[in-house]
Amino acid sequence: MNWQIHLPALVLAIPLLGAFAAPLAGLGGKHIRNAWFIFISVVTTVLTMLLWQKVAAGGPAVYVLGGQAWNLTLPSGLTWPIRIVLEVDAFGAFMAVVGGIVALAGAFFSLRFMEKFSGLDKFVSLYFLLVTGMLGMELTGDLFNFFVFLEIASVASFGLVAFWRDRPEAVEASFKYMVISTVAAMMVLIAIGFLYGRYNAVNMAAVGQMLHMGYAEKIALVFLVIALAMKCGTVPMHMWTPDAYTEAPAGVTCLLVGVSQAALYGLFRVCFSLYGASLDSVVVPWTIIVMGVLSMFIGVSMAVIQKEIKRLMAYHSVSQIGYILLGLGVGLLALRDPQAMADYGFTAMKGGIYHIINYTVYKGLLFLTAGALYYAAGSRNLNELGGLARVMPQTTFMFVIAAAAIAGLPPFNGFVSKLLIYESTFAVYPILAVMALVTSVLTLASFVKVFQTAFLGPAKAKFAHVTEAPGSMILGMSILTVVIIGLTLFPTWALSHLVEPAAKALVDQAGYIAAVMGGGL
Amino acid sequence: MWSKVYTGFGFWDVYTWIIFFALAAGLVLWLRSMGRSDYKKGTEQDEIFYGSNEVPEDGEDIQVPASSAYWGFVEALQPYYEKLLQIHTGIANDYVGYLVVTTGILAVLVLI
Repeated sequence: MNWQIHLPALVLAIPLLGAFAAPLAGLGGKHIRNAWFIFISVVTTVLTMLLWQKVAAGGPAVYVLGGQAWNLTLPSGLTWPIRIVLEVDAFGAFMAVVGGIVALAGAFFSLRFMEKFSGLDKFVSLYFLLVTGMLGMELTGDLFNFFVFLEIASVASFGLVAFWRDRPEAVEASFKYMVISTVAAMMVLIAIGFLYGRYNAVNMAAVGQMLHMGYAEKIALVFLVIALAMKCGTVPMHMWTPDAYTEAPAGVTCLLVGVSQAALYGLFRVCFSLYGASLDSVVVPWTIIVMGVLSMFIGVSMAVIQKEIKRLMAYHSVSQIGYILLGLGVGLLALRDPQAMADYGFTAMKGGIYHIINYTVYKGLLFLTAGALYYAAGSRNLNELGGLARVMPQTTFMFVIAAAAIAGLPPFNGFVSKLLIYESTFAVYPILAVMALVTSVLTLASFVKVFQTAFLGPAKAKFAHVTEAPGSMILGMSILTVVIIGLTLFPTWALSHLVEPAAKALVDQAGYIAAVMGGGL
Repeated sequence: MWSKVYTGFGFWDVYTWIIFFALAAGLVLWLRSMGRSDYKKGTEQDEIFYGSNEVPEDGEDIQVPASSAYWGFVEALQPYYEKLLQIHTGIANDYVGYLVVTTGILAVLVLI
C-alpha cells in the first residue's frame, strides 16, 4: 500500500507526537530536545509539501479516521458521513504548506532565542500543539473537529503568549486573549450546534449539500463569521492582536501569524464551501469587505504612531489581514454572478490567496528580525535602538527585504498580490483600491521609520557590545527570506501552481461536496 | 515560469523591473565613482557635518527618536488619533464588548 494515502493523518499525527514526546526528549538533555524540536518541525513541513504535491496531482484527498477503510466516507449505504473525515483540497493543502514553513522557521529561530529560559520541554510541547491545532483547522472536513483544533490552537497560544510568566504584561496579554477567544469559541460551538440540530450532521460537505438558508443557518453564519474574523485579528475585534503578538516570544509570534491564517481559512471555508451558493444576500460579502477596509486603514494608522517594534508590527498584521479580507470578500461578492467572477472576482481571489502566503512569510520574517534585535540589543523600544545595521548586517538585509515586501514595493512579492487586489477591487468601487493604496503608502512610511530608528543612524555607545544574531536564528530568518525571494522572482509559477488551484478549489463548492458525498472511493 | 503576470487589466513583468533596477544601480555607482577620492581619511574632512558644532561622541545624543517621527502627520490628524486611541483602551471587557456588538450588528443586517 502506498504510504502517501495516509498523508492527511500523518501531517497531524507527527506534530502531535512531537508535542507529547517533547518532555521525554527533554529527559535526554538540551541537545536531544533541540534535535527533536527540529526533526519534528522538518518532518512536518516536508509532509505538508508532499500532501500539497499529492493534492495537486490527484485532486482533493479524503481520509476517514477510525473507519473500515481510510477512503470510505459513506459506508454501508449511509447518506452522510458519521466519522471524522479529513478533507484536503488545493486550498487546504496550500494553507498547510504555508503553516509548515512558518512553523519550521519559528522552530529554528527559537533554539537560541529561548535557550536562557527554563521550562523549554513545555515550550516545545505547546509549540507542537499549536502547530497541530493550526494544521488540523486547515485539513479537517468536519465542523466539530474544526472546533476541537481551534481550541487546541487557542489553549496552546495562551500558554505560549504567557510563556515569559515573570512579565506581568505577558500574563495580561494572554488573559485578555483567553477571555475574548473563549467567548468566540462558544459562538463557534453554538453555530455548530445550530447546524447539527438542523441537519443531524457535522461534516462540512454533508451540511453544505443540505444547507438551505433559514433563521438557524443565518445565526450560525453570523456567529462563525464574527468569531473567525476575531481570531484572525479583524477590526473592530483586533485589540488582542497587538497585546499577544508583542508579548509572545518571537518564534511563537511567527507561528501565530500562521495560526491567524488558519482562522482566516476557516472563515472562507465556511463562506465558500459550507454556505457557498446558499448565500443569497450581499450582506456577508460586504461585511467582510468593510471589515477588510477598516482593518487596513485603522491597523496601519495605529502602526504609524507606535514606538515599540513588535507592537508596530502587530498593528501591521491587522492591516495586512485587511487586504486578504478585501480580496476574498470581493470574490465572495462575485460568487453568484459568473460574469462578475470572470471580470474581477477571480482576480481578487487570486490576489487575496497570494497575499496569504506573502503576508505570512514576510510578517513572520519581520517578527523574527524584531526578535533578533531584542536578543542582541535587549530592547524593543525604537526610541532606544539605533545604528544596529553596522553590527547586524545579515538581520538588516533580511529586514529590508521583508519591509520592502510588506510595503508592496516592486519587484517584491507583496507588490504582485497587492496589484491583483488593487486592480480587481477598483472594478467594484474605486474607493476600495484607493484605500488599499493609501494603506500601502502608510505601511512604507512606518517601516521607513523602523529602519531609520533601529538600523540607521550613528552608533550608540550602549550597543558597543552588540553582535549579529546567532546562526540558528539567522537560519530561521533565512528560510523565510528565501521563500520571499522565490515568490518575488517566480510570481507566475507561484500563481499558476499554488494560488490558482487554491482559488479554483475554494469557489468549487460542488467539487468539495462531491469528494466526500460521492462516497470517497 | 518566466512569463508575465496578467491581472485582467494590465500585466506585471518582474524581469523588466529587475533589468531597470540593474541599470539604475549601474548609473548610481557610476555617479558615485565620479566623486573625489583624494580626501584625507581620519581628519575633519571625513567627519559628518553637524551644524558647525562638534559631533557628540555617543550617537545617542544626535539621533532623532522614533516618537518624533511623523510628528506633523500625527498633529494634523490629531482629532482622528484621539478617537482611535480612545477605543484602544486595553481593557478586556471592551474587547469582548466589541465582539458582541459586532455580532449583534451583523445579526440584525443578516436577519432583517
